[in-house]
Amino acid sequence: MRRATQHFDLLLLGATVLLMFYGITMIYSATYLSGEGGQSLWDTFFARQIIYALAGLGLMFLATIADYRYLENLYHPLYILTILSLLLLLVVGSVSFGAQRWLGFGRFQPSELAKLSVIICLAKYLSDRGPSIKRFPQLLISLIYAAIPMVLIYLQPDLGTALILGVIWLVMVLMAGARLRHIAILALLGLLATPLIWLFLEDHMRERIIVFFNPEYDPLGVGYNINQARIAVGSGGWWGQGFGSGSQSQLHFLRVRPTDYIFSVLGEELGFVGVLILLLLLGIVLFRILRAADLASDDFGKLIACGVATVIAFQAFVNIGMNIGLIPAAGTSLPFMSYGGSGLITLLLAEGVVQSILVRHRKLEFQ
Amino acid sequence: MEKRKPDAKITVFRIIILLLFSLLALQTWRLQIVQGEESLERANRNRFRLVSTLAPRGVIYDRQGRLLVRNIPSFTVSVVPADLPPDREEEVIQRLASLLEMPVESRLDSEPSSLPQNPHLLGLERWFRPGIRDLIEEGRKTPFVPIILAHDVPREVAFLIEEEHLDLPGVVVQTEAQREYIDGPLLSHIIGYVGLIPEEEVESYLERPGSDYELNDLVGLTGVELTFEEELRGKKGRKHVEVDVAGREVRTVGAAMDPQPGYNLILTIDLDLQKEATEALQEEMTAAGSQSGVVVAMDPQTGEILALVSLPSYDNNLFIGGISLEDYQALRDHPHRPLVDHALTGQYPPGSIFKIVGAAAGLEERIINRHTAINCPGTIWLPHRFAPQDPSLAQPFRCWRQAGHGPLSVVSAIAQSCDIFFYTLAGGYREFQGLGLPMLSYYARLFGLGSPTGIDLPGESEGLIPSEDWKRLTYGEAWVTGDTYNMAIGQGYILTTPLQMLNATAAVANGGTLYRPQIVREVRDTEGNIVRPFRKEVIRQLPIAPENLALVQEGMRAAVAWGTAWRANLPGVAVAGKTGSAEYPGPRDREGRLPTHAWFVAYAPAEDPEIALVVFIEGGGEGSVTAAPVAARILADYFDLPLE
Repeated sequence: MRRATQHFDLLLLGATVLLMFYGITMIYSATYLSGEGGQSLWDTFFARQIIYALAGLGLMFLATIADYRYLENLYHPLYILTILSLLLLLVVGSVSFGAQRWLGFGRFQPSELAKLSVIICLAKYLSDRGPSIKRFPQLLISLIYAAIPMVLIYLQPDLGTALILGVIWLVMVLMAGARLRHIAILALLGLLATPLIWLFLEDHMRERIIVFFNPEYDPLGVGYNINQARIAVGSGGWWGQGFGSGSQSQLHFLRVRPTDYIFSVLGEELGFVGVLILLLLLGIVLFRILRAADLASDDFGKLIACGVATVIAFQAFVNIGMNIGLIPAAGTSLPFMSYGGSGLITLLLAEGVVQSILVRHRKLEFQ
Repeated sequence: MEKRKPDAKITVFRIIILLLFSLLALQTWRLQIVQGEESLERANRNRFRLVSTLAPRGVIYDRQGRLLVRNIPSFTVSVVPADLPPDREEEVIQRLASLLEMPVESRLDSEPSSLPQNPHLLGLERWFRPGIRDLIEEGRKTPFVPIILAHDVPREVAFLIEEEHLDLPGVVVQTEAQREYIDGPLLSHIIGYVGLIPEEEVESYLERPGSDYELNDLVGLTGVELTFEEELRGKKGRKHVEVDVAGREVRTVGAAMDPQPGYNLILTIDLDLQKEATEALQEEMTAAGSQSGVVVAMDPQTGEILALVSLPSYDNNLFIGGISLEDYQALRDHPHRPLVDHALTGQYPPGSIFKIVGAAAGLEERIINRHTAINCPGTIWLPHRFAPQDPSLAQPFRCWRQAGHGPLSVVSAIAQSCDIFFYTLAGGYREFQGLGLPMLSYYARLFGLGSPTGIDLPGESEGLIPSEDWKRLTYGEAWVTGDTYNMAIGQGYILTTPLQMLNATAAVANGGTLYRPQIVREVRDTEGNIVRPFRKEVIRQLPIAPENLALVQEGMRAAVAWGTAWRANLPGVAVAGKTGSAEYPGPRDREGRLPTHAWFVAYAPAEDPEIALVVFIEGGGEGSVTAAPVAARILADYFDLPLE
C-alpha cells in the first residue's frame, strides 16, 4: 500500500484543487459581491460550492482506494440504475429554465451520473470485445449503449449533455480501434438526417443556433446572454477590470453567472492573463489524465481515463467557446469552475477512478 | 502482462486538445485585446444612461399670497423594457398585475359607445384601462425610456416593489410630484388640472422648439394649468447614471444638470372674495330654484379678475392620476355641465343690461342728448312695413311697465330700464330717427361684444352680434325694425357671455377704456423674483366722449339709488348698476310670460370705481330681484360694510 501511493498523481490533484479554488473565488465575486447574498453564509453559492468540493474530494479518495476493476462487475447495475433514474426524471422531475434536470432528493442531476456510467459501460464493452470493434455490427452495438441515455437526456431537453455522451462514445470507440471508415459512414448518415433532426429540435435549441450564426439578431431575446458574455469577456483586456469590479457581472448584465457564464466573469474581472491561467490548469489536468491512460495496466482502465479526459476537454471547449461566441449556447458547465454539486462531485469521482487506475498500474506491486 | 507500448492515438488526442485550447486562447485574445476597446464601450453603454429628471411644477397663489395649488410627493411604477429579461417577462408582468391591481391585457371598463371621443383630453387614464403587457409593448420603441405603468401608487405597494426588486428586473419605482388643488371646486374653472398629453397633441408638444416633453409627461389640460403651461413647467434636468441590469440607479456619474423648477403664478383672484361670491351666488340660486349661475368681479381700472365663479363646479382633484368612469359620467351627464366655465363659454341674451351700450351709442351719435325726452306710453305700435296704413297689421311693442313711464330722459330711462325709450332710440319711431342696426352693432362691437375678450383662460366663446347679412344668410329673411327693437333691449338674436358684459361695464365705469381681462397677476421664480410683472393691456380706447359716458354712469347710479336696481343700494358706498331679465325660450308662467335669466352688472364706488361685477343666474327670474342682492352682498363684503 505504501508503495502504491507513490503512483498517486499529486500534480493532477493539485491542479484540480487550484481549479476549484479559482472557481469558488469567481462564484464568490459573481454572486456574493454582486449582492446576491443568501439568508445566511451557508445559504450562499460559494459556501455551498465549498461543501460540494469537500464532499467530492472525499468521494474521490474513496474511489482512489477502491479498485477500479470492481467496476467491471458493477457496470450492469450501474447502467440500469442510470437509465431508471433518467426515466424517473422524465416523469417527475422538477422543471427549471424550461428543462427537467434535477431529481428531488438533494437536487441530484442523473445526467451527470450518466456521463460516468456511459464511460464505464463503454470501457467494459470495448475492452471485452477487443479488436472485434473493427467490425461494423460491434460498433453499432456500442453506439446503442450510448444512444439510450442520449435520447433520454435529449428529451429533458438537454442537448448539451446528450452531445457530450455522443462525443464520449466517438472518442472511446476510436481509442478502442474502431475503423475511421465506419465512423465516416455513420457521420454521413447523420449528415443526411440533419434536416430531420432540425425538425425534432426544440424551439429554444433552434433559436440558440440561429443566434449563434447571427448574433445581432434579437439582442434582448435569446441572443442576450451570448452578447452580454462577449461584451463581458471583451472588456477584460490584458489584466481585467479587477476582482469584484466587472460592471457586466456586478451590475447583473450577465445572467446565470455562477454556472454557464462563470468564464465571462473570470474574463471580465481577471482579463486575458486570468484566462490563460485557467487554460493552463485545465491543460495540466487533461494531460495528467491522458498520462494515466498511457500508464493504465489494462484496456478497461485506459478507456476509462480517455473517457474522463473527453468529458473534461469537450465541456471546457464547449463552455468557453460559448462564452466567447465560438459555439452556440448549449448550456454546458465549465469543469471544476461552474457552480453545481452534481457536476463537480461526478467529475471528482471520475478523477478518483483515474487515480485508482494510476495507483494500480503495476499489477505486480500489489501481489 | 508485458509493458505496453505508448498508444499513438492518445498522442493524437493530446494534439487535438492542444489545438482546441489554442483556438480558445486565440479567440479570447481577439475579443480582449484586439476588440477590447469596442467591448468596453458596449459595456459602458450598458451601465451608463442619460436620464432626465423632472422639474417641479410651479405652484399657484392668490393675489394675497395664499397657496392655492401645491405639489405633494407620490410614487410611480415604471418598466424599462430593455431591462426586462424576456424569459422572466411573464413572471414580472403577473406579479405587477397583482401588486398594482392592473389588468395584464388592455380592456374597456365600459361600453365602447359611452366612451368620449378623446378620453385622453380629460385625463381619463383609467377609462380605457391599458394592460401592463400592452404598455410594455408600446414602450419597446424606446426601450431605455421607463414606461409609466401607474401613477399615485400607495406607499406600501411602492415599498413592496422596491423590496422585491431582484425578482422584478426592469421595474423602477420613482417619486414624482403630484398636484394638490387645495380649494378644489372653489377654483376649478380658473386653475384647471393636469393630465397626460392628449393623443392628437402629442406631436405638437414633442416638436415644440427646445421642447423636453416626453410621451408620458403631465401637461396642463385646462385652466391656467393649460394657458401658463410653459411658465409652470420649468426645465427638465439631465444626469448620467450608472444602472444595474434591472435599470435601477446605482450612482450618478459626473456632474448632473439640475432641473429648473417651474415659475410660480400669482393670480389676480382674491380667495376671500371668491369664497364670498360663491356662497352668495349659491344661496341666491338655491332660493330662486336655479341650477346654474355666474359671478365675475374685476378691477375696472386694470382688467384684473378678482373673482370668477361658475356654478355648478367640479372638484379638479378628481382628475389627478386619471378620473374614474363613474365620476366622469356624473360630470358629463349633469344637465348643467359643471365642467364648463359658463362665465366665458356660456352665451346668453344680455337683456336690459345691453341698454348701456345703446345709450352710449345714441349720445355719441347725437341721436339724443341729456335733455332729449322720449315718451313711454306703455305700448307702441310698429306699423306693418308693407301696409303702413293698416293699423290692424301693426305690431305692438310693450314696456315692462304696462302703465308706461311718460316722457323720460336718457338718465331716467336707464334708471327705470324703460324699454320703449330704447326701442325708439335704436329703431326709430314715427318721426323719430333711430340709430339703426349697423350703428348699434358697431357700438356693441366697440364695447367688446361679439368677440372673445382674450382672457388668459381657455375655451372662451365669441357671442353673437347680428347683422342684416347674418340674418339673411342664417334665416333667409330680411332684417326688420322689430329685430332692432328686440336687440335694443338685449333680446332677439344677440348673445353675449357674462364676461363680455362685465368688460363692457368696466369700460363704462373707467371712462372708456376696454381692458383685456387677466387672471394671472405675476409670474415669479422660486426665489420670489418677478419674472413677468403685471401690465394692464388695453384692447381699445372707446371713441366716446367722456361727458356721454358720464351720462350712462349717471343713469346706472340712478338705477341703484332710486331705480330698478335699488336692492343693490349700500349705505356708505355709491353703487352704480344695471339690471337685466333676459327672456329665453322655455315654459311660460301663469301670466303667459317667458322665463328669464337674471342679470346684474355693477361697479363701485360710482365716483372712483375699484370693482366691477356681473351676476348671472340662469332662469333666475327678475335681475332686480335675484341678481342685484347677490351683487350687494359681494360688494358689502368687499367694502367691509354691514348688510341691511
